[in-house]
Amino acid sequence: MIQEAEKASQPAPRSEAGDVVVETRNLSKVYRDFWGRSKKIALKPLDLDIRRGEIFGLLGPNGAGKTTTLKLLLGLIFPTSGEALVFGRPATDVSKNERIGYLPEESYLYKFLDAEETLDFYGRLFGMSPEERQRRAEALIEMVGLSRDRKRQLREYSKGMTRRIGVAQALINDPELVILDEPTSGLDPIGSREMKDLIIDLKSRGKTVIMCSHLLADVEDVCDRIAVLHQGELKELGRVEELLRVTGVTQIRATGLSAAATAEVRAVLERHGAADIDIGNPRSTLEDLFLEVVRDTESRPGRRARRPAGAPDATRAG
Amino acid sequence: MVLEEQIPQFAAWIGPALLRYAAAASVSLLVAAILAWLAQAIAHGPLAAGDRVYRGLLAGLGDLSLPSPRRVWALARLAIQESLRRNVLVVLALFALLILFAGWFLDPASVHPGRLYIGFILSATNLLVCLVTLVLAVFSLPADIKSRTIQTVTTKPVRTSEIVLGRILGFAAVGTCLLALMGLAGWAFVVRSVSHGHTLEADDIFEVADGEGSPAGAEGRTSLDRGHRHRVTLEAGGSGIAETAQGHRHEVTVSGTTAAGEKTFSVGPASGLLEARRPLRGTLRFLDREGRPTAKGISVGAEWAYRQYIEGGSAATAIWTFEGVSPGDFPDGLPLEMIVRVFRTYKGDIEEGIHGTVQVRNPTTGLRGESLPIVAREFTIDSLLIPRRINTVLANGELQEVDLFAELVSDGRIEVWLQCLEPAQYYGVAQADFYLRAGDGSFALNYAKSCVGIWFCMLLVTALGVMFSTFLSGPVALLATIATLMIGQFREFIARLFESQVTGDATIVPGGGPIESLYRIVTQTSITMELDQTPAVLAMKLVDTILLAPMRVAAGIFPSLSSLGTSDFVAGGFDIPADLLAAHACETLGYVLAFFVAGVFCLKAREVAS
Repeated sequence: MIQEAEKASQPAPRSEAGDVVVETRNLSKVYRDFWGRSKKIALKPLDLDIRRGEIFGLLGPNGAGKTTTLKLLLGLIFPTSGEALVFGRPATDVSKNERIGYLPEESYLYKFLDAEETLDFYGRLFGMSPEERQRRAEALIEMVGLSRDRKRQLREYSKGMTRRIGVAQALINDPELVILDEPTSGLDPIGSREMKDLIIDLKSRGKTVIMCSHLLADVEDVCDRIAVLHQGELKELGRVEELLRVTGVTQIRATGLSAAATAEVRAVLERHGAADIDIGNPRSTLEDLFLEVVRDTESRPGRRARRPAGAPDATRAG
Repeated sequence: MVLEEQIPQFAAWIGPALLRYAAAASVSLLVAAILAWLAQAIAHGPLAAGDRVYRGLLAGLGDLSLPSPRRVWALARLAIQESLRRNVLVVLALFALLILFAGWFLDPASVHPGRLYIGFILSATNLLVCLVTLVLAVFSLPADIKSRTIQTVTTKPVRTSEIVLGRILGFAAVGTCLLALMGLAGWAFVVRSVSHGHTLEADDIFEVADGEGSPAGAEGRTSLDRGHRHRVTLEAGGSGIAETAQGHRHEVTVSGTTAAGEKTFSVGPASGLLEARRPLRGTLRFLDREGRPTAKGISVGAEWAYRQYIEGGSAATAIWTFEGVSPGDFPDGLPLEMIVRVFRTYKGDIEEGIHGTVQVRNPTTGLRGESLPIVAREFTIDSLLIPRRINTVLANGELQEVDLFAELVSDGRIEVWLQCLEPAQYYGVAQADFYLRAGDGSFALNYAKSCVGIWFCMLLVTALGVMFSTFLSGPVALLATIATLMIGQFREFIARLFESQVTGDATIVPGGGPIESLYRIVTQTSITMELDQTPAVLAMKLVDTILLAPMRVAAGIFPSLSSLGTSDFVAGGFDIPADLLAAHACETLGYVLAFFVAGVFCLKAREVAS
């Protein structure tokens, strides 16, 4: 199910003015102690519009206010001031939840249920018919790769498996808006890649995704727009490619270039007054290398990975 | 059986009860709103607080309207699964263990073995079922909030009311199953424990002759089984009865003859052990030793003033007036049953019992029947059939046989006069002690009705536990529930204590409030000794009154589990009146509804993810 990463860089469908799914106005949250004294300013007044069909990332270090923002959107906590509207309704209105799927930070699920019972339970909360519940549960268990463990109680699950069933419960109602809190937390690189592919797949099916993470690579890979929060304050907001674009530097990539041709290119660049010229082999990512090794090992069990260490994979690096 | 208050007719009870309920609910709502406003006003100022309370109220009411049955069932099902995975069924093993070892400490030779066994089983069932559902109820929601699993539920289209109702119904369903299983096992235990037989050998019987010397039957005694034997009276034909002992009797029949020509007897199963009498109770008044009407009988110094005493060998009389007596209900006469306690000022013949008379009178004409002798035996229910044809005493002292209903019953009313014959001995009676046995219900049904009473208690405890668990942690919710039930249990005492504190009348409850009691314990001052009215003592009493005031309010609202219990009826052999059961059902429903609404508001006001 791994899909081409390039999908992430595709522009989001153009949003129309009426397509705002989430809207926050002056939204802030101050945690107080028992006596009402201010304990922590978790979120300073925040204004956000998240449009239909985009993948929106909330980025920031631990304690930046990412999860607080998500909880405010879900109505799990109440704002100190301002308001959050989801599908045009107040965040505290439970009827909005019909169209929302939520994966909390650590997949808070009932440990005494097994995978089937878990999905059946959440399906019931959406008032789904028995047949529909069964069909959805079957498909989701298959999708998250838990077919063989469907009858085991969640208390026996590893963290990665718990995360997978957490994703399945978040998608039980085929939601329009999916809110993911640290979606790749606890997942191995394969699981992490699958999760990212899933997020991109959701987008391709017209869903809106809001995710928060402090893993920059994850956000960069999948998000259309991001908001960077720090100490409860919005520091940056915009499209990923615009925010990350380095102006004043030109990158040229090519395959099948001989040493002589490389020297020629360098000469041409120098002739045109280019400075800080860097021509060499690009680096792959460790994630790509790992996935390559695992895939190769799975296709030829018991043998060392085919690709010699240090050899660049021209196809992926190019 | 002790019945301190008359059981009201449901139709007469429900109206005032609903009014009281509405009043209590309104006051509670107002107090809750004021408290919420005060709490909000500290953080947000008075105007914003008012707005928040108003919005909260509207949101809460909106949440309460029409919960989805499907979601409620999903959450109830989850609660059931949680209970099962927490091995709640272990309690059944504990109950089985109790039953297995019950035989060690329940004495089958006791005066009322049936009462003992039924009382034990119903108490054990009540305690276990309520305890289990209470623990399940108070720890579930706080555990969900702590483990944050509540977040995956509240982010689904689930209303707070559905979460609370689902919890209550789920744990109540678990409690219901436990109760049904324990009830059935307990039923089997009781029936099998009290059922027994005796044998009657020809050697244990001797012939009796009538005045003319011809055989009139036989007398004897049965074998000793379960710590008792019966005196046997046989007719000339051979069949007869094993007379009442331990509250029951047996039929005796001739089963055959031996080769030597001796009769062999068969003793039937016990009758009268597991009964559900339907009593027709009357009202009680007294005449003093000179025969003048008096409000009460004599107190013999017992602290518990339930029973009043009449003096023997005097005109002191206890008079019950029964209403609604008709020949259709009692075609063979009036089957009077009575519990007469005895207070002896000298020992006398302790085996014999104290002699007295019972007399029926027409309350309108004053015509009286002849005195019927009774012997009061302590701790048993004596029965006396007042025959349909009865001699009445005319003004000239002559006796005249009349029809009971024609001459002695007036507009369905009849009086029963009880007098003690032995000077310096006393009879003790309460209103519920004399009744006409209007019929018998099914014991099995009565037992089931008592289980329904336990079910009410369980439901109430569950709802109360869930309500507290919406805003308190598990252990604190457990303590709060127990404290609430304790205040409810002692609500009458608290009411009297408060009255005593406010009026300064130490005779109502001597010893004062909590601080004064502590002071008396520390200084070893008797509760009957009045303290000097020093400023310190006055201040102490004032603090006591302030402390007692909220307890008094709480005592007026909180439920009393023991008042919902009906095991005394079953154990005492009385049918549980439908009026009482209906009143208990309404009371339970009222409390559960109130706890449910309170739970919804408390959970709704809470940030479950903070």
